[in-house]
Amino acid sequence: MNKINLIFLIAGLVYGIKPVYSCTNVQKNDSPEVKVITVSELKNLINDRNGKPLLINVWATWCAPCREEFPDLVKLASEYYGQFDVVGISVDFPEEIDSKIIPFLKKQNASFSNYVIKVIEPEDFINLLNENWSGAIPGTFIYDENGEQIKHLIGKQSYEEFENAVLKASSLSPTLGGEI
Amino acid sequence: MIKKYLPIFSLLLVSIFVIGACFKPTQMPIVIDNFTLQDYNGNNHSLSDYKDSVATVILFIATECPVSNAYNERMENIFIEYGPKGFAFLGINSNKAEFVDRIKEHAEDNSLTFPILKDEKNVIADMFEASVTPEAYVLNSEFEILYHGRIDNSRNESEVASKDLENALDEIYSGNEVTKKVTKAFGCTIKRI
Repeated sequence: MNKINLIFLIAGLVYGIKPVYSCTNVQKNDSPEVKVITVSELKNLINDRNGKPLLINVWATWCAPCREEFPDLVKLASEYYGQFDVVGISVDFPEEIDSKIIPFLKKQNASFSNYVIKVIEPEDFINLLNENWSGAIPGTFIYDENGEQIKHLIGKQSYEEFENAVLKASSLSPTLGGEI
Repeated sequence: MIKKYLPIFSLLLVSIFVIGACFKPTQMPIVIDNFTLQDYNGNNHSLSDYKDSVATVILFIATECPVSNAYNERMENIFIEYGPKGFAFLGINSNKAEFVDRIKEHAEDNSLTFPILKDEKNVIADMFEASVTPEAYVLNSEFEILYHGRIDNSRNESEVASKDLENALDEIYSGNEVTKKVTKAFGCTIKRI
């Protein structure tokens, strides 16, 4: 093998391997993380407010109105990034994280925290979020900085309805993107 | 002494009554009015037709909801088990976009043999204040609600730990009061007009 061929071989190996390595990294970064959460862990999450209001959205991949309102949640989380926490709780089965939940979140470009609830007794979860809630989804629950629930929204919401509810829970001002 | 404080006591009593009334939590309707709906074959069914039953089981169901569909076999099995014991079963579809032809097709495809009625404009769902599918109600001959809620605790049949509807039917059949009268579960929202 002469020197020129050797240079081409090394260059080919370097450039051939790099894109594969890069693709792996991109895929990893793009893949949203979804953890299983129990009712008691969710309770701690609600109580552990770090001075920020919290919006919890309960959804499922099989729920049409949940899927319809999801882009507005993604937009809201992006517009108010860092100012309040948005947490999605899927009621799909934990076994469906890879097959259904993550593909849906990737398609939506959802960057906020998402969990899948693990319950034996759904009433424990339903009553933790609101005792007057029937369990119909989507359900959205908004907490102030102290972990006090100040609003719950049942059924499909618009961006403006989400934003209004969050603004009432906080001292935030509407962003340019949100019209109230 | 008593005379002196009587107006204050009276005012307090009235205040407690008013506050109690204002903050009374929302409750399901206790008694349902008689109603008539058509099944997917065009036959009329009135609640009063089933007054002589041990109790009437109303199941709000859907054709496209995965949660409701996860219960198709379980609902049919409950009907097969409790129908011969004298319980009447009526499925009701209140979803605005699920039409009679599709309801019939869905019932046939899933071997649902109890009557399924179409609730046009979700009038009956509103009367029951039903919000999800599947959602069960059990009524006595006076149309009083004896049980309202889920069929069981999990749409995954292998994880069922509490057969709430069947437990209620067993208690009614034994002549006992239903212990757990109201339960909650996840379900698909009834799509109203």
